[in-house]
Amino acid sequence: MASAVSTFTKIGKVIRLNRHGCTNRPFYHIVVQNTKDNQDGPVIEQVGSFDAMPNNKNEKLVALNFERIQYWLAQGAGLSDPVAQLLGLSGFLPNHPRTLIQAWKNRREPPRERKIEAIKGIAPPLDNPKL
Amino acid sequence: MFGSSGSRVLNVINISYLQSRSKRVWVRKPLGSPMAKSKIFRITPKPVIPEDEKAEMKRLFDNYKNSMKSLRQYFFEQSLKQAESGEVAQMKHRLEDQEHERLMEENLLENEKTAMLREERLKIQAEKTQKNVLASLIKKEREAKQHEIQIEDFLTKQMSTPFIKPENIEKAIEDALANPVNFNFALDLDGYVYRGKETSIDMIPEEKRERLNSN
Repeated sequence: MASAVSTFTKIGKVIRLNRHGCTNRPFYHIVVQNTKDNQDGPVIEQVGSFDAMPNNKNEKLVALNFERIQYWLAQGAGLSDPVAQLLGLSGFLPNHPRTLIQAWKNRREPPRERKIEAIKGIAPPLDNPKL
Repeated sequence: MFGSSGSRVLNVINISYLQSRSKRVWVRKPLGSPMAKSKIFRITPKPVIPEDEKAEMKRLFDNYKNSMKSLRQYFFEQSLKQAESGEVAQMKHRLEDQEHERLMEENLLENEKTAMLREERLKIQAEKTQKNVLASLIKKEREAKQHEIQIEDFLTKQMSTPFIKPENIEKAIEDALANPVNFNFALDLDGYVYRGKETSIDMIPEEKRERLNSN
């Protein structure tokens, strides 16, 4: 059992990101948890992963287990914003408004100065690397 | 400063009831702690969003919420359908049917057993009742016979006594008129009886006096 504490009241479940990885190198597990548990606390099921750092080919890799996500949504689990955005981008759910809002805001503001150069690879270089 | 004060203050958000050896995640500043000096007179500028952007954002969010609501409902219904028709459900149904059959057979056997016991019991009871009925019948017969004998004795006794029948009635009347019976009598302290209403002591001589004997 994931949680050793038995509960008689119903605690809502949430699908959200759990930060793993090391200092300055985050790696997120997409995970189903009780709302009351800590971010690094007991986990009911892992339902995917999200690597926030772009790889050699300028991709941020995301893994999602759609069947299990559907099951938990049917059971009444909530979604955190980042997870909802990722699911929207993947096509499983409609696009989250935040993606669109972020996109037009990025287009408006000038690009930020970066110390590290963008990696040239398969994906086109980002013209507004606020991301 | 807040190294371990998070656990001392009554803010439970920073505490995990289950031990975890990983880094403690900062959620919020403990409630009893004072405001930092650099932040006391700070007035945060309110973010100004133009009206059309606000309207657009509201529209987007409303649409998103509507679609999410309907999607969740759809997923829920799908899960119900799957629960009914899925493999797990079918297996459950099959097991339930088997269990039902087994229980029905058990019930049948049990019924047969109890039926046998019931039959024996009823047989014994029937014999008992038969015996009882027979005994009571015999008793009744015997009593009836005795009753008859008694009646016969009584009748014979009565018949032996002198009856006045229609043939004897005139003779009986003549006899009764001829011999009137006087029940009056008197007693003496010495124990002598003087019968008749009009008799006096002087009329009867001493020798003919009767003694009152119990009759």
